Amino acid sequence: MAFNVTRRKFLQTASLAAVSIPLSKVVCAETGVTKASLEPKGTMNDTTVVGGLCEMCFWRCQMVGKVRDGQLIKLEGNPKSIDNGTSICARGNAGIKLLYDVDRLKYPLKNVGKRGEPVWKRISWQEALDECGSKLKAVVDQHGPQGICVFPHGASAKYPMHYFERTVGTHNVSEASFFQCRGVRDTAYMATINEAPEEYVDMANAKVIFLVGCHFGENIHVSHTKTYIKGLQNGAKLIVADPRYSASAAKSDIWVQIKPGTDTAYLLAIMNYLVQNKKYNQEFVTNHTVGFDKFSQSIADWTLDKAAKECEIPAAQIKEVADLLAANAPNVTIHPGRFSSWYGNDFQRGRALACLTALLGAYYVKGGWLPPKKPKLNKTSWAAAEHGNEHNLNFNNDKMHHPYAPPGTPTELIRDCAISGKPYPIKGCVVWGQNPMQTIPNQEKMKQVFKAMDFVMCVDVMPTDVTMWADILLPEASYLERFDEIKVGATYAKAGDTEPTQYIAPRYPMVEAQFERKDQVYITNEIAKRMGHEQDIPVQTLEELVNKTLEVSKTTLASIKAEGGIHLQPGKPAGAVPEDFMVQLFSDEIAAAGFPGAPTYIPVENVPAGHARLLFGRAPVHSFSRTQNNIWLHHAMPVNPVWLNNEVAAKLGLKEGDTVGFINSEGVKSRTTTIVKVTPGIRKDCVYMYHGYGMVNPMLSVCGGKGVDEQSLITKIAIDPESGVHGMRNNFVRLTKDGKTLDMPA
Amino acid sequence: MSETSTSQDLSFFYRFLARCMQYPDPQWMNEDFFQAFFNLVETLGANAEGKEIQVALEQSPDPIEALQIEYTRLFINGAPHVVAPPYASVYMDKSLQGAFALKTLSFYRAKGFAMEKDADLPDHLIHELEFLSLLAQENDLAGEEEFLTTLFRPWYKQFCPRVGQETRHPYYRMVVNLIDFFTTEEKKNGFQCNEA
Repeated sequence: MAFNVTRRKFLQTASLAAVSIPLSKVVCAETGVTKASLEPKGTMNDTTVVGGLCEMCFWRCQMVGKVRDGQLIKLEGNPKSIDNGTSICARGNAGIKLLYDVDRLKYPLKNVGKRGEPVWKRISWQEALDECGSKLKAVVDQHGPQGICVFPHGASAKYPMHYFERTVGTHNVSEASFFQCRGVRDTAYMATINEAPEEYVDMANAKVIFLVGCHFGENIHVSHTKTYIKGLQNGAKLIVADPRYSASAAKSDIWVQIKPGTDTAYLLAIMNYLVQNKKYNQEFVTNHTVGFDKFSQSIADWTLDKAAKECEIPAAQIKEVADLLAANAPNVTIHPGRFSSWYGNDFQRGRALACLTALLGAYYVKGGWLPPKKPKLNKTSWAAAEHGNEHNLNFNNDKMHHPYAPPGTPTELIRDCAISGKPYPIKGCVVWGQNPMQTIPNQEKMKQVFKAMDFVMCVDVMPTDVTMWADILLPEASYLERFDEIKVGATYAKAGDTEPTQYIAPRYPMVEAQFERKDQVYITNEIAKRMGHEQDIPVQTLEELVNKTLEVSKTTLASIKAEGGIHLQPGKPAGAVPEDFMVQLFSDEIAAAGFPGAPTYIPVENVPAGHARLLFGRAPVHSFSRTQNNIWLHHAMPVNPVWLNNEVAAKLGLKEGDTVGFINSEGVKSRTTTIVKVTPGIRKDCVYMYHGYGMVNPMLSVCGGKGVDEQSLITKIAIDPESGVHGMRNNFVRLTKDGKTLDMPA
Repeated sequence: MSETSTSQDLSFFYRFLARCMQYPDPQWMNEDFFQAFFNLVETLGANAEGKEIQVALEQSPDPIEALQIEYTRLFINGAPHVVAPPYASVYMDKSLQGAFALKTLSFYRAKGFAMEKDADLPDHLIHELEFLSLLAQENDLAGEEEFLTTLFRPWYKQFCPRVGQETRHPYYRMVVNLIDFFTTEEKKNGFQCNEA
């Protein structure tokens, strides 16, 4: 830049005022920095703020925040917590880096470019809300409420989800936590024991802990991990069925290196062995199960040898596991798992886990499935309303496509309808806290959905991949900047307690929301006003929502804050098996719906020649793609190496640290590369990666393009027939190196 | 010319530069603003660059929107990614609101200033320019020099070239260079550090 004077000379010129005076007339009258009273040096204004409720994952650990001059400088477990205690995990600690992430969304943005190739312009909230309200209303006016689809995820998405579902009246809501995660587990258990199992297993007091696919240590929920470790410290035997030598397998007494997709066959053989050898809990089966005879007959051909062949594990090991479980029953944990969108045969798998628990009599006993008695809360939200099933895509005349679907509509039904326009057009899309580009398989299909829309709005804290498809992008206050949902539970507060203690822990903001970030109640209400639903608004503020939810507990945000952010009260012991508790070993209802009445193994596609099955799971320092841009967590685990069996690696000429890409069996190539982790700890027919990496949005300056997005390689869609939930381990890949495709050895 | 009046003039320059860095809005980014802006540019002899800006503004069907899009891309959220967040901590701590922002706030306080409730973060470029303007108004030359040396130049020298190289609009190249010009003390031989 060529200025023809130096600053000094310029400031010495006689004509300086002639330049400065016109400037003085166009400057802003107010300044953000203003005169104030002098404060002594060293004043830090340090405070400890109570009532934090973590959302770096969804376990909701309770925290306190150390705040200095309005800046959150440290997060710690709340000393009053009887759940996670003073512990929080790596992600919990790194919440600060989410709060102050440079890339975070700060202001409402309008896409003045193309959908998918955005050119962003900052706009006012007024303009943003007017546009969202008018565009969504136009969709409803033209196509009906079913013309809107919603992809919500996380605590803040519940209020807007209820608005669109209940008040606007669309069925087309697909929550990732159900349809791409744990929904099928819940509906399988609902169909079997009439309750969602959560993770109510008393591992601390178990004599045996049986994990099928769970990988604790890599999947970390603090209090759950603590009870797991406590169980191991107390001498529990650990059985882990996993094709990979996971963090849990590394602590196991028996590692079952099972063939992927065959869990149900394995469980059937264990159950058949228990039945045939009368090693099941006959009293429990007599008093608390239905359909034992039909169930026994149905699984009778699952001998140890048959399962050994199908699962590619030794028959003797299946027997060893079954005997160990039987010998220690009923104090055994048959873990229901959490993520369960495995292979598209997962309803039956969930049923098998629930039935095995029954055969062992491991419901409502120490060490078994033992649901706590939690404090009650009100359910405050938009008023429930009945909208009929005329536009419910899951209904086919009077029959349901997927009768055991979790709440909402199965994702694939929504996507097919949006793309084809049949049976009706879907033209408006609301994405709230979910990143469907990385949670839902087949990214190209997801892009087609967005292209088919008249209007797409996204609400998020970060510019995740899906936000590139928004027309309007709204910045949300993070979990550290808002009031919000309440965690309740019951546990033994300290060693030696004979009665559990209940806790109520609402979320309080640790700091004020910065820039122009707003919470879900504000955003939803403003859109509702513009869509003609002002009279239906249930609460005016998020604070009011929480207080109304607390009413039944006779607590308030103010009273709990005064107690240190957590209210404790005497609890009630979990108690014995309720008399009416019945386990549907064989379910006539499921059979009448056209599905197997007893747990049944449905084989999945075998690995085609030259390929390996693509497996993925959670990284201990990340929650999916949500935390990838967090600079602390990124440094801890910057890429997701691909686990490759050592013998396979030797045949392919690959060594630890080599850079590779992928091509799947349908010809889709990975956009990026990663490095190889050579290990004997994985079967030869599989490769494994941590999920959530390789995000494409270049607005993510830390993580964009780092590691491989395994979801981009999941293009073959498997749907669990009973639930409509996705199965995501049925895709096959070959590795690529230096432009060459490497055939995986048989 | 007295030191005091120079300082008062400098105060206006800082305030004007702070104005230049605000999100473009036709309410203030009007004819009077551009007249003052081009007058300054011309006085400094950057006629070619001034002409380039005028052409860019004239050729755009909506010149203010073009500047809003560029501002968003450069300083808020943009693709491929936000080019140059205008916060000191981003360069010094690799984070928003890091320790450097606290140091900046402490400096304001030590000089008897504080942040307004609705203000941006204390280490935002606009507020640092406002603060320099206030120091100049009080004729606190030593304070101004100390702030520039210890808290402003260390990050601004990273920020300025980033904007200069990456911007797609000559207006912002000029703005960051004007800020550079007014915040860079000459070496003893009388030349700017970054003389082009």
